[in-house]
Amino acid sequence: MGQISRHRRVLKNLDYTLILAAMAVVGLGLVTVTSAIQVTSLPGGAGIGFLWKQILGIVLGMTAFVFFLFWRYEELSRYARLLYAVSLVLLLAVLAVGHSAPGGAQQWLRFGPLMFQPSEFAKLAVIIGLAVLLSEREGQLNRFRDLLPAFVYVGVPMALILAQPDLGTALVFIAITLGMLFVAGANPLLLGGLTLAGLSGVVLWIWAHLNHGLWIPLKSYQITRLTIFLDPWSDWQKDGFQIIQSQIAIGAGGLWGRGLFSGTQNQLNFLPEQHTDFIFSVLAEELGFVGAVSLLALFFIILYRGLRIAGQSKDLTGTLMATGVVSMLAFHVLITVGMTTGIMPVIGITLPLFSYGPSSMVLTLAALGLLGNVWVRRQTIVF
Amino acid sequence: MSVDKKSLTKKINVLIAIVAVIFVVLAGRVAHLQLLETERYQTLARENSLRLITISAPRGEIYDRNGRKLVGNRPLYTVSLVNLGQDRGELEPVVERLAAILDRTPGEIWEAVDNQSPRRYEPIRLARDVSLDIVSRIEEAQLELPGVLIDFEPMREYPYGNLLAHALGYIREIRPDQLARHRADGYRLGDVFGQAGLENARERELRGIPGARQIEVDVAGRPVRSLGVKNPVPGHDLALTIDFEVQRAAEEALARIVKNLQNEGHRDCRAASAAVIDVRSGAVLALASHPAYGPAVFARALSAEQARTLFTSPERPFLNRAIQSTYPPGSVFKMVVAAAALEGGIIDRRFTVTDPGYFVHQRQRYGCLGVHGRVDVVQGIQVSCNTFFLTTGLRTGPANISRMAREFGLGEKSGFELAGEAAGVVPTAEYKRGMVQAELDRRFGPQFEAIEEHYRSQLPGASEARRDELKREWEREKAKIQAQYDRYAWDLQWRDYDTLNLSIGQGLSHYTPLQLAGYAGAIANGGYLYRPYMVQRVTGPDGRVVKEAVPELRRKVSISPETLDILREGMRLVNQPGGTAYGSFFDFPVASAGKTGTAEVWGRENHGLYVAFAPFEEPEIAVAVVVEHGGSGSRAAAPVARAIMNAYFGFLT
Repeated sequence: MGQISRHRRVLKNLDYTLILAAMAVVGLGLVTVTSAIQVTSLPGGAGIGFLWKQILGIVLGMTAFVFFLFWRYEELSRYARLLYAVSLVLLLAVLAVGHSAPGGAQQWLRFGPLMFQPSEFAKLAVIIGLAVLLSEREGQLNRFRDLLPAFVYVGVPMALILAQPDLGTALVFIAITLGMLFVAGANPLLLGGLTLAGLSGVVLWIWAHLNHGLWIPLKSYQITRLTIFLDPWSDWQKDGFQIIQSQIAIGAGGLWGRGLFSGTQNQLNFLPEQHTDFIFSVLAEELGFVGAVSLLALFFIILYRGLRIAGQSKDLTGTLMATGVVSMLAFHVLITVGMTTGIMPVIGITLPLFSYGPSSMVLTLAALGLLGNVWVRRQTIVF
Repeated sequence: MSVDKKSLTKKINVLIAIVAVIFVVLAGRVAHLQLLETERYQTLARENSLRLITISAPRGEIYDRNGRKLVGNRPLYTVSLVNLGQDRGELEPVVERLAAILDRTPGEIWEAVDNQSPRRYEPIRLARDVSLDIVSRIEEAQLELPGVLIDFEPMREYPYGNLLAHALGYIREIRPDQLARHRADGYRLGDVFGQAGLENARERELRGIPGARQIEVDVAGRPVRSLGVKNPVPGHDLALTIDFEVQRAAEEALARIVKNLQNEGHRDCRAASAAVIDVRSGAVLALASHPAYGPAVFARALSAEQARTLFTSPERPFLNRAIQSTYPPGSVFKMVVAAAALEGGIIDRRFTVTDPGYFVHQRQRYGCLGVHGRVDVVQGIQVSCNTFFLTTGLRTGPANISRMAREFGLGEKSGFELAGEAAGVVPTAEYKRGMVQAELDRRFGPQFEAIEEHYRSQLPGASEARRDELKREWEREKAKIQAQYDRYAWDLQWRDYDTLNLSIGQGLSHYTPLQLAGYAGAIANGGYLYRPYMVQRVTGPDGRVVKEAVPELRRKVSISPETLDILREGMRLVNQPGGTAYGSFFDFPVASAGKTGTAEVWGRENHGLYVAFAPFEEPEIAVAVVVEHGGSGSRAAAPVARAIMNAYFGFLT
């Protein structure tokens, strides 16, 4: 009886604005992916297969959402170490027996008929684990030395992901860490300084590599992808092709778009990776500025509500979990939309809830479940 | 806790601000692309996916006056291979099969494949102008030949090879200068353009309007769907005034006579031409120039050898001699002299001259062809008596003769529609002075200069005494050259011997065969000089007649009917026993009239000329024939005219 009433209470306290926004993103995403895959360069009926997998991802994701919503996060925290350990094992397994996308990084594990990206799982595990770790060290994060445990904690899975090599997902970990450290009370100046130093260090390193041949732990195609957005027309037939075609697609969309399933950039395959990395371009081409800004607005609602949840959590662990989720989602949106519009380097990560990628869908929905989890339990008195 | 809560709210607000900034930046960027620059990107998207493929319009066809096709079109088939993404192993059987059909080695095809762009879906042209047989064999094997395409483009076809080549002209890819001039008419690089003859003169009508197919292509350039077709409008057809049979007879006769004369030892005889007009309208029935070229050679790339032969041959096969070359008329001109004398009242029908076989003027002896005894004007024409015409010409004077020549359209462009028509020359005193002066300058100018320079350079360094001596020497040298100069300068003036030369069509006179045909035609038809033309009708692709030529009278020659009767009578007798062309016309069933001419060529063999018209009573056609260095008009040119008339009147030869 109590169980039922507790569940009813959870449902009654849910942040329906956030959930509706998320559902809208998922719905819009499914439509856009449908448009993108019916012309994808993959042969035969593979496109329909993509659609079913995406729907499966949504269904599994909703299950994960419910799971992470109802399992009290305080209890969940106790398994943080286990989740962390499991994700490390999975990441190692990827390196050992993983599968790669054609011409891409080795980032999949096969479970029967399903392929699964452990790096997605690792993101959630790190958010939970780091939240626990940092809430234990509350108020002791003023010196660089204090931050080191957190860096090591995040650094290990990150290094494993870098080894795949999946630069994009690895960078997501940095965004998550920065966001959570900031909220956990790390010295903002220190964080800002580190970020600045890190960014300029990377830029300088790449510059030195390109101009003076300094060694760099990146393959040359990775560097090209990072730098080509600065001047895509310098190699418009090859390296700049993606970005140029993406911008053409978005620009050609205009205010109202060229109509669903009617964008020539998408339908005629000028857009590369249109169902994954460049899905935003498909939306912008076919549904125009109205569609693109609607999606951004929906994401803003999700992130805003997420931060509100972080602010109103009953404890720091909840706050940090929510912050981690928001940081992760914000970084994904910034990179994917920025990349397709030509103001960010080409970093292949998903547009959460929107682009094709069942693993990402499941984990994003799980992360939203976690957000809801923190929200419904914001008042200690209730339970 | 409350302090914590406060600082937490602050941090969260900072994060909200950061997220807000991110979204403003992203939305701003999207707005920039989609609202401000959308037109530019829409254009780029269109350029990405839309292709306009020109469909060339079939060029108008050209027919003779009886509807016989002289220039047509045929499809030219091209075999290409498109790599549909097969690897070498998959292409192997295709290439081998194709090689067998095209009768080539697989190696040759691989070479073509490897040499050209390796990009997918880009057709690689393997063979051009393949036979219909190969086309059907490839089509039968289409299933085993994935990626093998057959394209076709319309191509000029000449059912009769070289026939009428000079007048028809040829087409070739448009030259850059032509493109620059005609870009406004929608020409583009690679289009064909009429380069000579009617193909050039009637380019506008023959060309048609190219169509286009707009297709949408995908990123690989593969056509996805057709968005619309604008069908090409074929060019207009031309119906010529040319009579195929007459034209062919003229060309064959010219070729035959040149070959025969060469065999008989007339080494220089290499070229000849003929013009045949309808005297009732000026319509050109035949226009032949030998040697000719085959316009079809331009359909494909010329080999270096072919190009060299065509463009540098001393026989100049591109020259349309019937309208572009001028020749002294020789005795063919005598009707002009007779007309001038009769019209000027210098002589009459009864006037006679006694020909002892030569003519003497100013102690100069001019030979005649024979000893003709007493000849009147009619006999003078019949036997081509030089003595008669030298006597008459001298009395008539150059002004009268020249005026009459011009009356007959000699020495002026006829207004014929093909480009490059020569005007010819009716010599006058001024014309002669110009010619001789130029020659004198060429010969004596350098000598005078040399003397001038020689003494001017010596004078400054010389002593006073030596200087005077040099000056005297200088004067002497100058006077010596001057004396030579003066001897030749005498020739600057129009002299009697010029009049004598003019009277028998030698010397400076130069006329085109087409002018001579018009001249004969005007004698035949009562003095009407028509503008010659060769396009009777222009027909649109829907069969509608767009343009119909009407005879255009240039002038009525001011000459009395009586005089014309005298000229015609003389010309009739030329083809009769005792006439100079009797040898060619003794058995001709139609009453005809003509005049032979032999034009003296300095240092080489004489040109043979002949003009004629027939039938005598109701004249229909006039003919002019010139055989370069053919020896004489009666032996070289008259037989050609006979062959032409045979064809016109339908007599089997």
